[in-house]
Amino acid sequence: MSPQHDGRRPASRFAADDSDVIVVIGSGAGGGTLANELCQRGVKVVLIEAGRHHQPEDFVNDEWASLNQLAWLDERTTSGSWRIAEEFPNLPAWTCKTVGGTTVHWAGCCVRFKDWEFRIRSEHGPIDGASLLDWPIGLSDLEPYYDKSEDRLGVTRTNGIPAPPANNNFKVMGNGARRAGYKGVSTGRMAFNTVPRDGRSATIQDGFNYQGDKQRAHWSTLTAEIPEAEKTGRLDLRPESMAIRIEHDDSGKVIGVLYVDAEGNEQRQKARVVCVACNAIETARLLLNSGSSLFPDGLANSSGQVGRNYMRHLTGSVFATFDKPVRMYRGETMAGIVTDESRNDPGRGFVGGYYMQLLSLGPSFLSTFLSPRAWGRDFAKIMEQYDHMAGMWLVGEDLPQADNRVTLNRDVRDQFGQPVPNVHVDDHPNGTAMREHAYAAGESVYAAVDALRTFRVSPYPTTHNLGTARMSARPEDGVVNEFGRAHDVPNLFVSDGSVMTTAAAANPTLTIVALALRQADYIEQQLKAGAL
Amino acid sequence: MSTPETAILGSRALATITAAARTMYPHDALSDDVYARVGEKLAETARDDSGAAQMIEDGVSALNGDRAFAELSADEQLETLKGIEGSDFFELVRSTAVVEVYSDQRTWQLVGYEGPSFDKGGYINRGFNDLDWLPDPEAAS
Repeated sequence: MSPQHDGRRPASRFAADDSDVIVVIGSGAGGGTLANELCQRGVKVVLIEAGRHHQPEDFVNDEWASLNQLAWLDERTTSGSWRIAEEFPNLPAWTCKTVGGTTVHWAGCCVRFKDWEFRIRSEHGPIDGASLLDWPIGLSDLEPYYDKSEDRLGVTRTNGIPAPPANNNFKVMGNGARRAGYKGVSTGRMAFNTVPRDGRSATIQDGFNYQGDKQRAHWSTLTAEIPEAEKTGRLDLRPESMAIRIEHDDSGKVIGVLYVDAEGNEQRQKARVVCVACNAIETARLLLNSGSSLFPDGLANSSGQVGRNYMRHLTGSVFATFDKPVRMYRGETMAGIVTDESRNDPGRGFVGGYYMQLLSLGPSFLSTFLSPRAWGRDFAKIMEQYDHMAGMWLVGEDLPQADNRVTLNRDVRDQFGQPVPNVHVDDHPNGTAMREHAYAAGESVYAAVDALRTFRVSPYPTTHNLGTARMSARPEDGVVNEFGRAHDVPNLFVSDGSVMTTAAAANPTLTIVALALRQADYIEQQLKAGAL
Repeated sequence: MSTPETAILGSRALATITAAARTMYPHDALSDDVYARVGEKLAETARDDSGAAQMIEDGVSALNGDRAFAELSADEQLETLKGIEGSDFFELVRSTAVVEVYSDQRTWQLVGYEGPSFDKGGYINRGFNDLDWLPDPEAAS
């Protein structure tokens, strides 16, 4: 149990001028895991988190109330031809602003990247409109860290952990997929407990995965990594602290972070190393906001790549109604997957692959997202079929494009007086072709179990935000090296999904954790070598 | 805006909004109490935002032409709303209505949704896998 559990805030463990600490900004999958890993290795860590320190007991089984409790709702703007800009212009992304970051509302799908997904560029050559680049690492570099990550997250079907049982929604998707000829059909590899493990209980199939897990059956940095780090006495967690700027000295090394604390006061924390893990939109924004005469285009941005190559995965959903009840909301929300379409087969009219994964929404969210802005009697009749409805999510590769990017919107300021991020996205023809294919595949799955009617649902605000500080072998092609270390700034690291050179089809959290573990090894080695 | 809040949305405005919300998301089995939530929510909005208050006042006036909107037939109400679809006022009412109507427990009961589950022990013993018209797909393989 964390010391903040009763609402009391312990005094800061480390002094503001303690330049021996490593500052990690953001406590989600990347930052929370890295912070714990560094603490375990004897490093003093100040973990700065914009959100509050909620505990699972505080979470609410109510979609809108929970969104208002956990989501990052600070103002943002959008542009480009993507539907989000029209349908949800100020909510481009659905991520969390809370201790634990977006792991708090993560459903837990753990899919490893495939070997070829690290090198789409060399597999396919240049593709018009795409800023494709191979990762500087491959699957073999990450495999040992995937192994560690799966053990740490308690992933089902690995390390002897039992598979999730089939719930109602999966019975529909799974049978449909088999009848449609798919083979890779299962309840999946999931980061929730099917049996008690690591001091956390087995799931009671209570659903509400996106609302925070009240019973701690799901791994999150809130319930797993941060409590472990606190036990070391080396973690100084500072919630409700919004990083404004990363500061540097005349030599171009970073020296600390300027942030605004819970009382609205500016604070400066010195640092030996700064690791940025704010999720792709805020990571890019913080780097861009940290520009100076030495770094006129933003910190670590001599390549011009900070904020560019923003990827959000294909996404889309298919829902279907049936003449018999389904009750898709019962049980673990995403415990089901069809993997066949994740292969690389350009014969389908697009490169890269996609997965079909289980998904359900309650009536509150379904009514908003099923057909944005729809109204009238036909819509109301569909909603009355709610308990006869099944759902799936489509997630696939989204090619990087130079102009799909996060920039600073200097015309709009947030509550701290800072320019808000603008997120610009134009769909790439490859993604459009993949989405059409995926919609048709999803419909064929439900048709095979006699759906009455199917619905193609456009992408929701994005939970997978990637690529805005990408890894590259050469400094001119990207922002960080294979360990997430900034090409331009030797003691600055990026530790979240921003570093992904390409998106692959898989849900990114497992890979973000694996990259954080690999980065922790590297930082420890560099510290020992006196290079940091 | 110094108007007393009771006058910001008077009974005629509330009746108009209730009728408009029902026309947008018509569930015959739901009582007007569910749709009345929309007017209550918009009254809060109007209290906090004088620009929105004016928009609501103007929008309600426009819906109430020669005859009160709430007194029109369902078909007439539908046609009247189609006439203002896309306006800021329409979108404010619609976006408020979709949240209020589909977050009401009476609506949940109507559509067969059981709401919060944690306090009831989840669904592990309450039917998370009780669908009986298809087999377990993995067992079937």
